[in-house]
Amino acid sequence: MIATSIKWTRHNLFGKPFDVVLSLLVIPGLLWLVYSITDWAFASAKWDIVVQSLRVLMIGVFPADQAWRAWTASAIIGAILGAGFGCVFCFKPHHGLVLLLVPALLLIVDGGLTNALPATGIIASTILGWALTSYAPLSRKVLPAAAFTGFIVVVAVMAPPGVGLWGGLLLSVLLTLVTSVLSLPIGILLAFGRQSRLSSLRIISAWYIEVMRSVPLILVVYWIWILMPVLAPQWGLADVARGMIGFTIFYSVYVAEYVRSGLQAVPRAQIEAARSLGMSEFDINRSIVLPQALRVVVAPLVGNVLDIFNSAPLVFIIGLTDFLRAGQMILANPQYGDRTFEVLSFLLVTYFVIGSMITYAARKLEDHMATGTR
Amino acid sequence: MKAIVEMKSMNKFYGTHHVLKDIDLAVTRGEVMVILGASGSGKSTLIRCVNGLEMYQHGSLVVDGFDMPVEADRKLGGERELAQIRKGVGMVFQQFGLFPHKTVLDNITIAPMRVRKKTRVEAEATAMKLLDRVGLTAHAHKYPGQLSGGQQQRVAIARSLAMEPHLMLFDEPTSALDPEMVGEVLDVMRELASSGMTMMVVTHEMGFAREVADRVVYIDQGSILEIGKPEEFFDNPKNERARSFLARVLKH
Repeated sequence: MIATSIKWTRHNLFGKPFDVVLSLLVIPGLLWLVYSITDWAFASAKWDIVVQSLRVLMIGVFPADQAWRAWTASAIIGAILGAGFGCVFCFKPHHGLVLLLVPALLLIVDGGLTNALPATGIIASTILGWALTSYAPLSRKVLPAAAFTGFIVVVAVMAPPGVGLWGGLLLSVLLTLVTSVLSLPIGILLAFGRQSRLSSLRIISAWYIEVMRSVPLILVVYWIWILMPVLAPQWGLADVARGMIGFTIFYSVYVAEYVRSGLQAVPRAQIEAARSLGMSEFDINRSIVLPQALRVVVAPLVGNVLDIFNSAPLVFIIGLTDFLRAGQMILANPQYGDRTFEVLSFLLVTYFVIGSMITYAARKLEDHMATGTR
Repeated sequence: MKAIVEMKSMNKFYGTHHVLKDIDLAVTRGEVMVILGASGSGKSTLIRCVNGLEMYQHGSLVVDGFDMPVEADRKLGGERELAQIRKGVGMVFQQFGLFPHKTVLDNITIAPMRVRKKTRVEAEATAMKLLDRVGLTAHAHKYPGQLSGGQQQRVAIARSLAMEPHLMLFDEPTSALDPEMVGEVLDVMRELASSGMTMMVVTHEMGFAREVADRVVYIDQGSILEIGKPEEFFDNPKNERARSFLARVLKH
């Protein structure tokens, strides 16, 4: 073991003169960086601020006595995401143990149940959902319907204190989910519209896609936020809903472009074979072309979800308190003025963990798709 | 006997390129017609016109009692006639054209269920009978990618038959196959021919043409140069170009 690692080191890090110079420069620098970060994280950083403000970071300014609503909603979302993940990646007990480390850590650091209890609930329901679809494949068939119902319940549970109070990481996740789910069908329709035989439909789709691709997201969100009350004053749409509409309008264009590349990847022979069987153009697109096209673009589409999640902080422009904004809010309190690094590090690590989980899921999904038929 | 396919001075162009020139051809019910010719002679285009995968510009084409609309009319919406024709005409392609994301069984049942509005039970019963006919019952739940080329082509034939066609078109069904798999596909086609199916076959299998065809058509540069019984055509071709074609393909 040690012998092989010495061999590996000599071969890879000190093989040629240039490698030696590079290694001598980079390795000490890296060690110093790791040392200073750990030293800071364990010796001088005061993490109590993160623990104390965890509720604000997670659910924003949602009233404390109503927090159970937000926790319930989070648990449902966790179950849905877990169940979705279980369809492509089989649950193993050690995954559950790793996930349960989160509430355990909270229990130790916090010394109380205020944070650990909701965290346990959310993690537990995630594990339950994941295990359910992993071990009982039949449950996958009802997943879309269950997810839809679950989502209605989430909105119903969260609504009473006021939609304007939604915030924190929960808002970021909700925004990402709603945008991803809504932009998929719209994007598919746009992609078909763009290659439609009806020239009016084709021109409208192409223009819509071109315009949205040429403007910044933040502008679209702001513009929709201002425009909606003018266009539909009687609806009285909340800021959150307007933000979701803006995101959906913007990101469905990117979905459309991905789907279009998938549609072009379907061989023409497939369409001819389906036509020769007498199938209608609608049936051909729905059952032959679209499933094969989506299969090709699963990875970029999941990448798009990651993109949406990472763009979510832009909703600050319309006054919403997402995860990042919640962190800033805490730091705005003069009493916590010296804890900037702690809070920002926590945000950074959390974004990194969630982002890499999405990327990981994308890779798994891609493998899953590849083994399905070929 | 009444013709199931009737072409009268049919012409097709790709842009300015004249692909099919004044084609007059009639296929009677129950007939097996084999279309021969060098590559690029227009033989595939000819049978692709019969189910409307290619459009023609002048002349007339009647398939199974329906007038196939010419290109100008297709643009104005001749879709209904087209769908009617395609229901009754099966087609088998060189590259099989099976749907890779569906199982063999689903490949066969999808069109009867969607187009003929059969129930799943009915469609699957028919599909299993057809799979038995082509000798592939054991593979019903596999995906096309798991089958050999010959097996895939037999599934493709079963899939076409599931629509209960009156006419089957074969566009070089064995050209993409490894030599050892050609036989199993030709056997299925032979059985189909003896069951009385009307067939139009584009192929380079001269043995099959001689043995199974009722009539052989020789096409060169978009024109029909010879139509006749296979023995007449193979033993005593009248046309000079047909003679040199046969000399080239029968040499080896």
